[in-house]
Amino acid sequence: MKITVRAFADYREFIGKEMELIVPEEKTIGELLAELGDRYPKLRSEMFTPTGELKDFINIFINGRNIAFLKDMATPLTDGDIIALFPPVAGG
Amino acid sequence: MYGWIGRYLRIDLGSGTVRKEVITPDLARKYLGGRGLGTHFMMTEVDPKVDPLSPQNKLIFAAGPLCGTNAPSASHYDVISKGPLNGTIAASSSGGLFGPMLKYAGYDMIILEGKSAKPVYLWICDDVVEIRDAAEIWGKTVPETTEAIRSATDEEASVACIGPAGERLVLFANVMNECGRAAGRSGVGAVMGSKNLKAIAVRGTGAVRVPDPKAFREAVVKASAKIKANSVGGKGLKNYGTDVLVNILNELGGLPTRNFLDGYFPTADKVGGESLAKQLLIRPRGCYACIISCGRATKVTNPKFAGQGEGPEYETAWAFGPDCGIDDLDAVTKANYICNDYGMDTITMGSSVACAMNLFENGVITTKDTDGIALNFGDAEAMVELVRKTAEGEGFGKKLALGSYRMAESYGHPEYSMTCKKQEMPAYDPRAIQGIGLNFATGNRGGCHVRGYTISPEVLGQPVKLDPRVTEGKPALDITFQDLTAALDSSGMCLFTTFGLGAEDLAELLSAATGLNITTEEFMKIGARIWNLERLFNLKAGLSALDDKLPERLTKEPILTGPSKGLVNRIDEMLPEYYKLRGWDSAGIPTKNTLADLGL
Ligand code: SF4
Repeated sequence: MKITVRAFADYREFIGKEMELIVPEEKTIGELLAELGDRYPKLRSEMFTPTGELKDFINIFINGRNIAFLKDMATPLTDGDIIALFPPVAGG
Repeated sequence: MYGWIGRYLRIDLGSGTVRKEVITPDLARKYLGGRGLGTHFMMTEVDPKVDPLSPQNKLIFAAGPLCGTNAPSASHYDVISKGPLNGTIAASSSGGLFGPMLKYAGYDMIILEGKSAKPVYLWICDDVVEIRDAAEIWGKTVPETTEAIRSATDEEASVACIGPAGERLVLFANVMNECGRAAGRSGVGAVMGSKNLKAIAVRGTGAVRVPDPKAFREAVVKASAKIKANSVGGKGLKNYGTDVLVNILNELGGLPTRNFLDGYFPTADKVGGESLAKQLLIRPRGCYACIISCGRATKVTNPKFAGQGEGPEYETAWAFGPDCGIDDLDAVTKANYICNDYGMDTITMGSSVACAMNLFENGVITTKDTDGIALNFGDAEAMVELVRKTAEGEGFGKKLALGSYRMAESYGHPEYSMTCKKQEMPAYDPRAIQGIGLNFATGNRGGCHVRGYTISPEVLGQPVKLDPRVTEGKPALDITFQDLTAALDSSGMCLFTTFGLGAEDLAELLSAATGLNITTEEFMKIGARIWNLERLFNLKAGLSALDDKLPERLTKEPILTGPSKGLVNRIDEMLPEYYKLRGWDSAGIPTKNTLADLGL
């Protein structure tokens, strides 16, 4: 399946603006992020604590839905999904 | 008194009399300062039915007890009046240096009454208060005015002024200070213009006293650390400004597009904070005592839209960008510069252009109405030209100067105006984010995001992540945010500190600055008191529950594309509960018990 990953704010410095990934087998968002973390250690250290917990105020969307309202890291991915990664941002 | 100065100026612009009056400790504790105290004086001294642009309306500049202290981002003051854009109680907040300077000069507040026979400006230097002739600066832009007044008074003075738009009574004219900071919304600049008051320049050499400087410093260090540990104090706002929000709202499908016809704009990234940082940013700018520095000093070199100044903020980038179907950051920034120079609110300006484009595309207006300009969504040059025409008071710009509601109504189609209580909504689509819809509808000055920023939990996940599509629990959430913000605005802090600080932290800072024991409960109750007082003003002005609504487009026409496709706002599921939790009857009127409990 084809998955698009978009990065915003500081995360663009680590992985670029957008990438398309061809994922051969079924995967959860947690598994995909773990693989991305292997490729981009800086992204991993910014997003996760040393024990692998997602840090505070980081938002991960799949097709516009925050994974907090799906199945969190266990949310399965499907073909064509768009993942958006946001570091903590504020404003108004 | 500590924190407060305990003294304010009452100036009758008609007779030229200046009086120094005292704020009693009881009153100060009841309403704090800024928005709360100003609303109290409006309620007790002005008939809510007054014509906002008549001499009988008053204009109040008020700082809060924390303003001018060393508390983080303690820079904010409010301009309070009856707003001409929609006739509600208006309180517009601004940062910069004006609020602290007012306190250092020895005043918590200035109440301006009547109308001067000719253009004047005020010069306040500690105990000296002069009403000076402004004939030579009338007609000048904000930067020109600021410079002229500083060279005539003191280069260190803070200048809050109106531009030509305020003089011309553009209904959404603002008050600008330090050139780039705005008390932006509801048209408080037009009230200033109606009084023939061009500017207030202030220079103070005093200080704000706190009872125990060491204890206060400790409270400040603690609060600053909390802000720094939060997203607001991190790299995001400093590197990208508030415009960093464009992408997260768009990815959610909650970025209003083409006058709210849609909630998703495929090329939004081009006007987002990341693009801004790369293309136009010179450096971040901060207000007094700010550890965040969300302001943007920018420069556009593209000859078509060349200029230099401050901005754009997120709301501005959206209003001139996606809301008009535009993704040209240079054009968006140019429109922002014109608004800053002439003194106009960017949200209402942009949304009025978007409304005109919508009317044009649907054939309600034609080039005959628009001075020959075709107004299609996406046309950046037409957008900038309309902003210029409004600023200069030319042709179709005079229609736009009324705001989108009156303009659309004059063509028989007010439903094209994306307003609540006739004030334009900001950059969050209530169809994708339920709680903010309720907040816009119940806002005491109409469509507004800084009366209860539920975007924080509903989109940004702070302090907790709440599902934006759910209505359950949102009335209580809105009330908490509304009350917290009312108390915060009245204390003199910047709203952005609430990303890191809760009510308990703010109450602690306030207690340390004033020497009073203000508990979290009291702090929140002060907020509720102010909210209800504003409600009472509006009810007396003639508004009712019928005004607590969203434009029909948002409840009947679903978002067309993007992640929130198919969604509408479900305000009917929230509003009755909101009234109940507020302690209001089903007609939206505070009950006797509620008022008694709040000491109103
Ligand atoms: S966060 Fe922004 S608006 Fe608030 S005080 Fe700092 S620079 Fe001013």
